[in-house]
Amino acid sequence: MALLDIQHLTQFFGGLRAVSDFNIQLEHGEIVGLIGPNGAGKTTVFNVITGVYAPTKGTIVFDGQSIVGRKTYQITQAGIARTFQNIRLFSQSSVIDNIKIAYHFRMSYGNTDAFLHTRKYWQGEQQVDDYAIDLLRLFHLEGHADDISGSLPYGAQRRLEIARALATKPKLLILDEPAAGMNPAEADELMEMIHWLRDKFDLTILLIEHQMRVVMGVCERIKVMDFGETICEGVPEYIRNDPRVCEAYLGKGA
Amino acid sequence: MTFLRTHRTITTIIAFVLLYAVFKVLYLTGILNTYYIQLIILVGINIVMTVSLGMVNGFTGQFSIGHAGFMAVGAYTSAMITTTWLHVSTANPWVGYPVFVLSLLAGGLLAAGVGYLVGAPSLRLKGDYLAIVTLSANELIHAILNATEAVGGPRGLGGIPKFTNLEVVFVFAIVSVALMRNYLFSSPGRSMKAVRDSEIAAESTGINTTKQKVFVFVFSAFFAGVSGGVFAHLLQFIDPSSFTFVKSLEYLIYLYVGGAMSISGAIVGPVIFTLLPELMRSLQSWRMVIYPLILILTMIFRTEGIMGLKEFSFILIPQRQRKEVSA
Repeated sequence: MALLDIQHLTQFFGGLRAVSDFNIQLEHGEIVGLIGPNGAGKTTVFNVITGVYAPTKGTIVFDGQSIVGRKTYQITQAGIARTFQNIRLFSQSSVIDNIKIAYHFRMSYGNTDAFLHTRKYWQGEQQVDDYAIDLLRLFHLEGHADDISGSLPYGAQRRLEIARALATKPKLLILDEPAAGMNPAEADELMEMIHWLRDKFDLTILLIEHQMRVVMGVCERIKVMDFGETICEGVPEYIRNDPRVCEAYLGKGA
Repeated sequence: MTFLRTHRTITTIIAFVLLYAVFKVLYLTGILNTYYIQLIILVGINIVMTVSLGMVNGFTGQFSIGHAGFMAVGAYTSAMITTTWLHVSTANPWVGYPVFVLSLLAGGLLAAGVGYLVGAPSLRLKGDYLAIVTLSANELIHAILNATEAVGGPRGLGGIPKFTNLEVVFVFAIVSVALMRNYLFSSPGRSMKAVRDSEIAAESTGINTTKQKVFVFVFSAFFAGVSGGVFAHLLQFIDPSSFTFVKSLEYLIYLYVGGAMSISGAIVGPVIFTLLPELMRSLQSWRMVIYPLILILTMIFRTEGIMGLKEFSFILIPQRQRKEVSA
């Protein structure tokens, strides 16, 4: 059974049809890319999956359960984590607190322990501190643990955002333009990291990306969208040679 | 680590006891008269008001501008209980003080209830709705008190026993600020700041942001309500005009000048602005020129408030040493 199964997803914004009859099935452990020109509806698909918008039509089944109509935080708790096109860290909080915040919904103590700093509080804090520092270490961020996250260099902020998403212990990770603003060397590192993430954390990954080198290099399957419609899908070699894709990106006659 | 923590706690407690002893000695030797002691007590009340407002405005990033409304709910509730319904007095402290403490809690809880009614619908929405709703709630509470003859209407409520003294306010302010500070340095406290920094990212990391915002708003209203009760039993007289929007505005000024994103700032602000008008008494009407001038200058040169993001060391929680791992 597919981990994520989207059928006939359609999304209207007023009279604008942002996404029309979108279907996708993600199998456990796959890395799938979603590409298309600006305004094709890719981010809208992400926002519908994560509950930012309720879909106008269609079904979304994740891990055997329908997630249509659930709130964003419930969808995250069910096992879908995401990163954002323009990085959204908790910029006034420290690097390690960014990770700890993502651990909050699994935290072992409640409001009363928080007010009174009970034994349970101290145990919970120690536990989350160990967990967070171990996770930061995997992303080579442990040296910055107590720095304000907004002061990190760009590449480190991207890594932290992914680390934060992983701290929610997701089954499905969705990345919205993870290579945006990266130079080729950084993008290469990112590609390596995406494969490593999948194996290390036993993830399924869905990503939007504009840098073709990254998409072709990392995805096992690609779906191409234009004006809300799916125009093509398949393995990278097939996509690369498809005339409809060239037309969507470069225009007719190119 | 545990040693360091206990050590810090003990040092802080000793410091507060000493501070209390200094005020008490100065009072007993006649250097500080009753008026100045009352001023110090007001500082304590204003600190709790400002710190609790800072929980909502500074740390959760919402904009509540009707904090005095919740103070009014607490003040009237506790004053009605001690004065009108149970007729307790300071003459019999063994009965009086327990009733007083319970009346404070009752005032706090009722203020929290009103806070829930105000906050639950408006905190679901993003944007400036909360400001409009809290402002209206403040005015509404003011109007209801004015129109209710049972609580004295515009004449107010007098003859309240003077339960609030230096000891009461010390315990009250220290316990309240300690509880809120504890909450801030905890997992739900981090979630508050996450909501402030990016609500959508907080939601995508699994935080029920609406629930978190409402909870903070409700306990903030609780502390404002208790402060109101302490306030009523200090002045022994309350009337609706003590709790208008202007009063709320004062707390906003204390908060933003002190530093909204720091508990220490929410302590420094009310200390300065409660004492300053008194210290400048010799300047007579020039006070009213200097006071706003100080506000303007702080806002120009220290936009984040006097304390900015800094905290006094007694506010912070000693961090444990993490074991170093060489890469």
